Amino acid sequence: MGIKGLTKLLADNAPNAMKEQKFESYFGRKIAVDASMSIYQFLIVVGRTGTEMLTNEAGEVTSHLQGMFNRTIRLLEAGIKPVYVFDGKPPELKRQELAKRYSKRADATADLTGAIEAGNKEDIEKYSKRTVKVTKQHNDDCKRLLRLMGVPVVEATSEAEAQCAALCKAGKVYGVASEDMDSLTFGAPKFLRHLMDPSSRKIPVMEFDVAKILEELQLTMDQFIDLCILSGCDYCDSIRGIGGQTALKLIRQHGSIETILENINKERYQIPEEWPYNEARKLFKEPDVLTDEEQLDIKWTSPDEEGIVQFLVNENGFNIDRVTKAVEKIKSAKNKSSQGRLESFFKPVATSSVPAKRKELPESNAKGAASKKTKGGGGRKKK
Amino acid sequence: MLELRLVQGSLLKKVLESIKDLVNDANFDCSSTGFSLQAMDSSHVALVSLLLRSEGFEHYRCDRNLSMGMNLGNMSKMLRCAGNDDIITIKADDGGDTVTFMFESPTQDKIADFEMKLMDIDSEHLGIPDAEYHSIVRMPSNEFSRICKDLSSIGDTVVISVTKEGVKFSTAGDIGTANIVLRQNTTVDKPEDAIVIEMNEPVSLSFALRYMNSFTKATPLSDTVTISLSSELPVVVEYKVAEMGYIRYYLAPKIEEEEDTKT
Repeated sequence: MGIKGLTKLLADNAPNAMKEQKFESYFGRKIAVDASMSIYQFLIVVGRTGTEMLTNEAGEVTSHLQGMFNRTIRLLEAGIKPVYVFDGKPPELKRQELAKRYSKRADATADLTGAIEAGNKEDIEKYSKRTVKVTKQHNDDCKRLLRLMGVPVVEATSEAEAQCAALCKAGKVYGVASEDMDSLTFGAPKFLRHLMDPSSRKIPVMEFDVAKILEELQLTMDQFIDLCILSGCDYCDSIRGIGGQTALKLIRQHGSIETILENINKERYQIPEEWPYNEARKLFKEPDVLTDEEQLDIKWTSPDEEGIVQFLVNENGFNIDRVTKAVEKIKSAKNKSSQGRLESFFKPVATSSVPAKRKELPESNAKGAASKKTKGGGGRKKK
Repeated sequence: MLELRLVQGSLLKKVLESIKDLVNDANFDCSSTGFSLQAMDSSHVALVSLLLRSEGFEHYRCDRNLSMGMNLGNMSKMLRCAGNDDIITIKADDGGDTVTFMFESPTQDKIADFEMKLMDIDSEHLGIPDAEYHSIVRMPSNEFSRICKDLSSIGDTVVISVTKEGVKFSTAGDIGTANIVLRQNTTVDKPEDAIVIEMNEPVSLSFALRYMNSFTKATPLSDTVTISLSSELPVVVEYKVAEMGYIRYYLAPKIEEEEDTKT
């Protein structure tokens, strides 16, 4: 999922394009959140041990509701205004990738049965994570919950990341929150990772700025898209033997996939037969997204307390006290969101002062550790 | 090379106490004109701008513009070790990664050196345009502090309105409401007790009291405070620092957004 090794490639080649930000600093910002990715995370993380999940009386899984409810309240309390974007129909090109994931899941299910028989706890934990799948029911539950909470929901025609990026480009939101690096390839001007991570993990939000990435890599947006395709994306195979680092070198040298294909040693690098890089490129450049103002009616409204209680308490067995308390939190957060930000009045300017000597060594160490951390964190979710 | 000697060391102590609650880490910028700081709180709602002009220092040497990142909590810990009558000298080398605070007792029989590690802080600098404010209120700083404290026991938002009649501070909370009106009063014994209201246009704005209360930490620095209001700008709460500079706090107002209205 996403672009292979892009985080590391950027950490090495465009360190200034990524900035660690405090969660609180997104106060008052509108943020598009890739809902499918979040739901998937909730199913894995929230209240699951081994094969046991949070369920209601009927035995239906409720981890996603619990996660969505709490995490969204956390955003609202911080004064952030989230817009959740749900995946629509996957593009044709992603079929292959999806089929691969499907078979992996089937493998994992088989492995899980084996592990349960063998009673190996670690393996049960490992494989049960891999069998997690987001169903239409999960999505529909979350949409219903969000609408009751007064949080806007956008249903993308195709990929959610693409829609998020389009919202951000159109200035409807400040940034895109996802764990999927695809968002950058779709050209989301500001891309935020770890925004949806639980506060207990204390991971700062990592903000990527596409304009800065291009500046630091000295690439155009088209070249960056080619770089991502070469590194390996969801839509087509990549050339065996070419990873991010080589891809960057080649793009810098030749400028586009076409010229690279004309110039590279075909003996050494096996170019996949029928390589649909052009179609993949088109998907990134002109994705199928909603742009109609009417359909993108993004409004934050008051929560429907009765509706939430009915849905969560009566239908899904949540504790009524907790739910009513949470609804109170949403209500008080709404008052808070009227606080303005200074940036809406004053604009940033460049500073003239020279910083006192930057501590080069510890600084680069810290960066290395941070990128390792993000890589580890990302890897966990990419399964 | 940087060397700033401040005879009235207690000023620096008070300055630190008045900003450290609002901002954790900040860059101090030194240039030939003075020692300054601009920093926002973590939610980017309030901004503090400090200036101590070079003339206010007994000795001021700054060879080239320098920006020093400091943790204000740690800096305050060190400055608390200085006596109130001590002379404070700030020293740093170009390219060094520490700053030294030297405290000398007035009788010169005790000299203390405190060295603090600098930090690399990535911060945005905001450009603040000079503006004509609709209304400017000057009043005793302890009076303003008292009002903010009193109102925050009732509500969490203060509405400041300036009209022909005077300036009104009001709030509302679960237990009730409060209104405090001050009228212009220049017939006082001491000039610092005066309440001066310059109104070009009436204005009414809402602000979070939490921030106002943290601004009033600067009260010990100055007997008077100046509050400048315009309907489309953040409020400015300014305290003079002796004759040598100022601390200005900017706070973004609360706004009613259309999309927040019930549908």
